[in-house]
Amino acid sequence: MARHVIEVRGLTKTYSPHRAPVRALDRVSFTVDEGQFVTLVGPSGGGKSTLLLILAGLVESTTGEVWVDGEQVRGPVPEKIGIVFQDATLLPWKTALANVEFPLDLRHVPRGVRRERALALLEMVGLQDFADRYPHELSGGMRQRVAIARGLVQDPRIVLMDEPFGALDEQTRTKMGQELLRIWEKTRKTIFFITHSLTEAIYLSDVVLVMSPRPGRILDVMPVDLPRPRRFEMMGSEAFGQARNRIWKLITEGEG
Amino acid sequence: MQRTALAGQLLFVGAVLAGWEAVSQWRWVDPSLLPPFSAVIQILWVFLRDGAFLADLQVTGVEVLTAFVIAAPLAISTGFLLGEKLHWGEVVNPVIHVVLAVPQSIFLPIFILAFGIGFLEKVIFGITHAYFVIVVNTVAAVRAIPAPLVVAARSFGATPVQIYTRIYLPAMLPLVVTGLRLGMIFNIIGVLLAEMYASRHGIGRLIFSWGEAFQIRELLAGILLVSVATIALNEVMRLWEARVGRWRSATLGS
Ligand SMILES: Nc1ncnc2c1ncn2[C@@H]1O[C@H](COP(=O)(O)OP(=O)(O)OP(=O)(O)O)[C@@H](O)[C@H]1O
Ligand SMILES: [Mg+2]
Repeated sequence: MARHVIEVRGLTKTYSPHRAPVRALDRVSFTVDEGQFVTLVGPSGGGKSTLLLILAGLVESTTGEVWVDGEQVRGPVPEKIGIVFQDATLLPWKTALANVEFPLDLRHVPRGVRRERALALLEMVGLQDFADRYPHELSGGMRQRVAIARGLVQDPRIVLMDEPFGALDEQTRTKMGQELLRIWEKTRKTIFFITHSLTEAIYLSDVVLVMSPRPGRILDVMPVDLPRPRRFEMMGSEAFGQARNRIWKLITEGEG
Repeated sequence: MQRTALAGQLLFVGAVLAGWEAVSQWRWVDPSLLPPFSAVIQILWVFLRDGAFLADLQVTGVEVLTAFVIAAPLAISTGFLLGEKLHWGEVVNPVIHVVLAVPQSIFLPIFILAFGIGFLEKVIFGITHAYFVIVVNTVAAVRAIPAPLVVAARSFGATPVQIYTRIYLPAMLPLVVTGLRLGMIFNIIGVLLAEMYASRHGIGRLIFSWGEAFQIRELLAGILLVSVATIALNEVMRLWEARVGRWRSATLGS
């Protein structure tokens, strides 16, 4: 059996318990294997981002624990976990290249080393010609790709991505998905990916975690039995349609 | 394009000065009321080699600089605390905005009663003029720090010090520099006002006494000098502002 790189046990999160408390997560437990592409789908406001922030050690859970790579998470672990935030969050006063370098810069990696690494990653996401551009000079999709490069720059074993393609049109989104799969196949990292799109979830992942409306619970852990590498035509296949229907049913039933 | 705009502006200034020279030379206006531009420049040239005048200029310069050097860090730290500690800001910020509406000039007699007439009073009057604008701008700068960038930096392993130096500082700088520029203008207003109202030294006192003595040529020379100096200072600070704020205006699309 493959190793569990992420292990989540009984996570519950209640925001601001002293005011009107909001219960965002309810006894969430699951595991992710090394090198897996795992997607989390669920309705808006269900607690997906909250879960990602807890996994990254950026928000404390109310109860339960997260183990990453055999160690309990109690704060950010940048050398193990890279994050791609939903809205890119690039520093607007830095160029694309400087943004990708930023995590290494914070850890005082020598200039030459970090530059070389950042350039290689920009090339991987197809932006080598845009290294000197500022975020406002890039399109939304390009910014997102810079953010992906930045998420990978510390060479983390695990990458968490919160709706990284959420703001993109269908066509760019599909292209970016294919690009991400290519990167993933090349680097063999463990990817934890959040999305609203069932198609995207099935197309990309080994396993789909289906989350209920708030407070978020894991309704199902659904393996995707489609061959790799994935191809665009598979979206029309019967297996694809069945997987889609199954998630759809779970989510709509979950709404009661 | 920017070049032609600048050329046009210079042309306009030149035309105004030429017009001034002409109406006075050709006596369309009584030259004792409006001496020609060339005569004003002449006397200014004499002043700039006159030790007593330069001493007065220096007094004002030192007052302005001292006030600014004290006001800027004081105001920036106040603004930072008020912006960061939200519960303090909620109480104090509205008070500051109300205070800002009151013309500070009316407090000058009180300052004189409290600190006498002299260097200290001028500097303190300059400080109080600069202080509040810088505070208000610094509070706005803290509020403008994008929270998601802080979370992102934390996720990359930024230490608390790095969050301040690598995120807070660059994010705040454009608005803080705007505050400093406005603060400098207000500071100069305060110091000159205090000098004109009651003083033994300084360019403000000179300008006021020339006016009283009806020495229009000297008066205009003083006004011209102060105007040119403050415009130059303001432009330099605006360049700085544009430099540190380039990303901001581009991001906000203005
Ligand atoms: N910092 C916070 N303080 C208080 N409540 C919060 C906070 N962050 C999130 N919540 C609440 O927790 C719930 C889950 O939010 P979360 O952002 O995790 O949802 P999500 O599944 O990511 O939604 P979406 O798909 O729209 O991004 C929401 O009801 C939200 O209002
Ligand atoms: Mg979310």
